[in-house]
Amino acid sequence: MTTEPKKNPPLGRVIVITSGKGGVGKTTSSAAISAALAKQGFRTVVIDFDVGLRNLDMTMGCERRVVFDFINVIQGDAKLKQALIKDKRVDTLSILPTSQTRDKDALTKEGVEKVLNELKAEFDYIVCDSPAGIEHGAQMAMHFADEAVVVTNPEVSSVRDSDRVLGLLSSQTKRAETEGAEPIKAQVLITRYDQERVDRGEMMTVDDVLEILAVPLLGVVPESKAILKASNVGTPVVLDGPSAAAQAYEDAVSRLTGTQVEMRIVGERRPGLFQRLFGRAS
Amino acid sequence: MSDRYARTRHDPASATAAAFQVRGRFLTALALRVDTENAGGPFYAQLDEQLHKTPQFFSGAPVVLDLVNAPGISDPARLRELVENLRRRELLVFGVQNAAGIDPEVLKTLGLIAVPPGRDAPLPRDTGPARAVAAPRPIQNKVIHSPVRSGQMIVAEQGDLTIIGSVASGAELIAAGNIHVYGPLRGRAMAGCHGDESAHIFCQSLNAELVAIAGLYQTSETLGEVPGQGCTHIYLEDEKLCMKVIA
Repeated sequence: MTTEPKKNPPLGRVIVITSGKGGVGKTTSSAAISAALAKQGFRTVVIDFDVGLRNLDMTMGCERRVVFDFINVIQGDAKLKQALIKDKRVDTLSILPTSQTRDKDALTKEGVEKVLNELKAEFDYIVCDSPAGIEHGAQMAMHFADEAVVVTNPEVSSVRDSDRVLGLLSSQTKRAETEGAEPIKAQVLITRYDQERVDRGEMMTVDDVLEILAVPLLGVVPESKAILKASNVGTPVVLDGPSAAAQAYEDAVSRLTGTQVEMRIVGERRPGLFQRLFGRAS
Repeated sequence: MSDRYARTRHDPASATAAAFQVRGRFLTALALRVDTENAGGPFYAQLDEQLHKTPQFFSGAPVVLDLVNAPGISDPARLRELVENLRRRELLVFGVQNAAGIDPEVLKTLGLIAVPPGRDAPLPRDTGPARAVAAPRPIQNKVIHSPVRSGQMIVAEQGDLTIIGSVASGAELIAAGNIHVYGPLRGRAMAGCHGDESAHIFCQSLNAELVAIAGLYQTSETLGEVPGQGCTHIYLEDEKLCMKVIA
């Protein structure tokens, strides 16, 4: 897929994808959001902050191409250009993988800032995939952010953790510590939403979540089989053929870049009577 | 707008792992007031009797010597003798209070520190100057214009606290005066934290984990009978927390 790179000076926006709780879809969302941004022609880089676990490169399907990583760059063992991996599907997309052999203490505030500043001079969007938790790694991922996408599942503990993260975003980040700076623009992305279970009263509704978090809604990604399939083959879901989840991510990214898109909660198409009778998986 | 974003006190992100940490520490010590200028045989006999009666009470407890009634013991030789005799009885003497005019060098050689006279549990005698400290502090109210998130703690040490926004479960509000929440209260709210029983809590809907006024608290389990919706006024009457839906 070839996209026309934008010729204007780079926007240099840093977006952190965070959640507090693990397993809610941060890495999947990071992959999908960065790929969708790149598809729209924005020069985009996605950074894996989950030092020691390294999942993003697998989701992006480039784990065999990793030579140098984020930590090498921070420690001056490699140049940024050597560590950046250009995506083979969308040429405006790059990946900065992380180290699997180091731990999160290898991230220093100065090192992260230096790398981000270098990236800002070349990219429109710098997507930071935060590790779970609220410890050092997550704080490093969010510290220099301009915008935050807080990924939440419609489930109480996930929502509470997201609330905690929103508190940190508004108190322990560079924008919060700089007097007079505009606060981080935080938006919530609800993932693994299942309309059927909401209808049965088994799952929190979008309104319930928003009532607690009190931040704007970026999008609602339905629970979808396409997600796991795309992850397993190493393709961001938005590049893996049409699906309800891909559509939801595309919409969310349009909103992220400032386009007004009507909020629609698309469910996976329910199997018809015929399909149900013959038990064919969709 | 004051204090737009409340910050937690330390910033774990900024420092590399520090080798030490300085923290405030209060400890409870026994004060041994010597009421005789002549700390001789009868004094030690009485002391031994006391130690024999309640050995648990003294074991391991730090002890401060109070010389308010025995200024004569401030004399270096007599103080040394007293301290040595006490330490022989395994009393952990570490400080001296109300010992005006004692030479700091003498204390140093005895391994003692001069302790400022604090509040003793049974107040022996009103020592004038201690009273002047409690000048009324100026009232400082606090207004927060953003939602209070889970894990945040907002303290209005010397006045009222007003939150314009919601208070999430897991968040904590503490005020010396009243607390007003213009939004749902799902966290904890403690008004009158210095013991002001006339403090009140107001919120737009009450789903709190805990509400407390002047130390009297109720948790969500005992809040059950109170309707969660509607503006609620919480106040103290006859040492009981009362809750009223006012709108």
